[in-house]
Amino acid sequence: MRVSDMKIGDEAVIKKVTAEEPIRSRLYAMGITRGNRIKLLDHTLKKQTWEVEIEGTRVALRDEEAKSIEVEK
Amino acid sequence: MKKIKAVMVGQPNVGKSSIINAISNARLHVGNFAGVTVEKKEVEITKNEYELDIVDLPGIYSLHAYTPEEHVTKKYLLQEEYDVIINVVDANVLQRNLIFTLQLLDMQKKMILVVNMIDEVEEKGGSIDAQKLSELLGIPVILTSAKQKRGVEEIPDKLIEIYESTRCDCKIYYNEKIEEEIEKLSTILLKSPHIQDSKIARFYTIRLLEKDEDVYKIIHDLPIFLELHEALGESMKRLELEFDIDDVRDLFAQERNALAKSIVMQVMQLPRKESLTDKIDKILIHPIFGLPIFLFFMWALFQLTFEIGSIPMDYIDQTVSNFADWLKGILPPGDLNSVITDGVIPAVGAIIMFLPNILILFLGINLLEQTGYMSRAAFLLDGFLKKFGLQGKAFIPLVSGFGCTVPAYMAARTLKNPKDRLITMLILGFMNCSARLPVYVLFIAAFFPTHSAGNVLFAIYILGAILGLIVAKILRIVLFKGEPEPFVMEMPPYRFPSLKALAMELWIKTKLFIKKAGTFIAGTAMIIWFLSSYPVDQKLIHIYEQKIEFAKSEQEKTKLQNELAAKSLENSYLGQFGKAIEPIFAPLGFDWRMSVATISGLAAKEVVVSTLATLYAVGEADENNSTFIQKLRENIDFKAAIALIIIIMIYSPCVAAMSTFYAEVPQWAWRTFYTIYPNVLAWIMAFLAYNILSVAGF
Repeated sequence: MRVSDMKIGDEAVIKKVTAEEPIRSRLYAMGITRGNRIKLLDHTLKKQTWEVEIEGTRVALRDEEAKSIEVEK
Repeated sequence: MKKIKAVMVGQPNVGKSSIINAISNARLHVGNFAGVTVEKKEVEITKNEYELDIVDLPGIYSLHAYTPEEHVTKKYLLQEEYDVIINVVDANVLQRNLIFTLQLLDMQKKMILVVNMIDEVEEKGGSIDAQKLSELLGIPVILTSAKQKRGVEEIPDKLIEIYESTRCDCKIYYNEKIEEEIEKLSTILLKSPHIQDSKIARFYTIRLLEKDEDVYKIIHDLPIFLELHEALGESMKRLELEFDIDDVRDLFAQERNALAKSIVMQVMQLPRKESLTDKIDKILIHPIFGLPIFLFFMWALFQLTFEIGSIPMDYIDQTVSNFADWLKGILPPGDLNSVITDGVIPAVGAIIMFLPNILILFLGINLLEQTGYMSRAAFLLDGFLKKFGLQGKAFIPLVSGFGCTVPAYMAARTLKNPKDRLITMLILGFMNCSARLPVYVLFIAAFFPTHSAGNVLFAIYILGAILGLIVAKILRIVLFKGEPEPFVMEMPPYRFPSLKALAMELWIKTKLFIKKAGTFIAGTAMIIWFLSSYPVDQKLIHIYEQKIEFAKSEQEKTKLQNELAAKSLENSYLGQFGKAIEPIFAPLGFDWRMSVATISGLAAKEVVVSTLATLYAVGEADENNSTFIQKLRENIDFKAAIALIIIIMIYSPCVAAMSTFYAEVPQWAWRTFYTIYPNVLAWIMAFLAYNILSVAGF
């Protein structure tokens, strides 16, 4: 399951980040790392942009990035 | 007196600037880092026989630098000389901030940790055990709230304390297997005579394992590199196999994250409850209502900018012209008098006049930024702008562009990605700035029926914006292949802005703006004045003086004076230049007068109106003058008028804006492209319009 498959309000644990560098490092810097809990807060009307929360930080992502984060409920 | 040099680093939005502002008795210097346009703030404090010099580095999320500002910070951290690092973190998101802190600790430099915004954690009923945190990290920890001025006074004391202490327990131990590899590699690195310090060897080794290109470059030229490179590859392979990962970078990210998590669990108590941010966000970034609310905010900002901003405009204009008149009276008559009172002062005045608009716009943008709403606006608009190869944050400079292109270029700094920033800046000129309005008003009044004037004006603005989006798309496809860079952005919590910080930001922006406009506009004004005043044709003046003397009525006198002014201008260098470039504009139906007006519009768009007025021999005139409009109708046909409007819409913005672009973009290739392409595009579009209209029988 990926972040883009989650529903608003869902929480999950990050399993793997498959994005390419340098985005992967940027996601890590935001706390999007294996083992951390991620919560889907919101997305825009057409699900192009997503807002997630990881350990207290809110992060906006695009579709591509949301797809690159594998999670497990 | 002993000197201590400290650098202040931290992730974005942790409140570093507020801390700098809150440190009392500090003298603040603002400039740019050498060679880049990233703002550099520096404060000096004197305390117990010590002079403390603190450099505030731009926010950085990680030593894997990504944005231009992060590269500045990283370069400073790696290459400059300093004694102590002041690492500021946000107490609300301690875990994420500690990941970066752990990266810094690898450097094993003297460091203090400032845990800011502790008041917000305590309000929610949480707490942080500073003593424990200090023990775990091996560095001094201060809990602060810049807003309440709490703990900030301790920073200088701790700074001196750690400077004087000789010990540093700050060393992070990773997994045994990782430590083994670090040990192997740093032993090799220490064989090099260039690296004597085992601390640096350890730090470089860790960075190399994390594929840090900047450190790679440092090591690359050392003779030891060959041996090291081979061992490094082997170490990486072993670690990848051992931990079943694709990349050693992941390993360090996971190690640091686990460490940060366990530290937070040991030192922090935080009961979770729905924060104010959650409640506000439910409304402000609502999938359906978010966009209309955002548009309302933008509309309100524009109304404020132009409604309130225009109030002092006339007053400033009056003051400037009174000043020029007064100076004209007391300075001895002659060229110097003329260049100052006719050339420099009105030109600089014309720029100062826009200062209120610019300040209000900046205040609005700063408010959006400080409250945390800006990120939400970018979030809402990203999907739409992505279609044109831009990203959400580009909206802010684009909107500012309707006011004035100069601050818009500066606002483009909020775009962190260099490519996105460049594309946005390259199309900002198509957002019609307020200086172009007088030209449009004049030509619409002259060539369109009154009842459709408003619609035509609206069409011009909309067409400009649409053209900008289309060009952005083309630039993205042709010059920067592929999609816009990915968009990963922190959404900071909503905060009440600090008045002091707002005022400080505004003051810095004002100072920079006046300095730039003052020096630059004064310079161009002198050049334009010179070109339009020389060479002086004494014979012509003599003939006209005689004619004026014998003039029967005041009316005739004015007419002759205007004729003289027009003839002088025609003979001036500017006039000669206009004739020389006439062939370029001839296919658009322009005469030499329109050509000169177009060129002079590069100095400032308003100048187009005054130049045309002078050249068509009507003397002092504004866009509402009916004789002037009559003259325009007689001399310019409809097709050429449309061509001129198109030129004004598209071609290069004023020199002030262009110089701002040059200051923000250091690459000559881009500067050259920026200088040429809008003018070529403007010409082609005007040419097409002119010919289509003539085929259509206008």
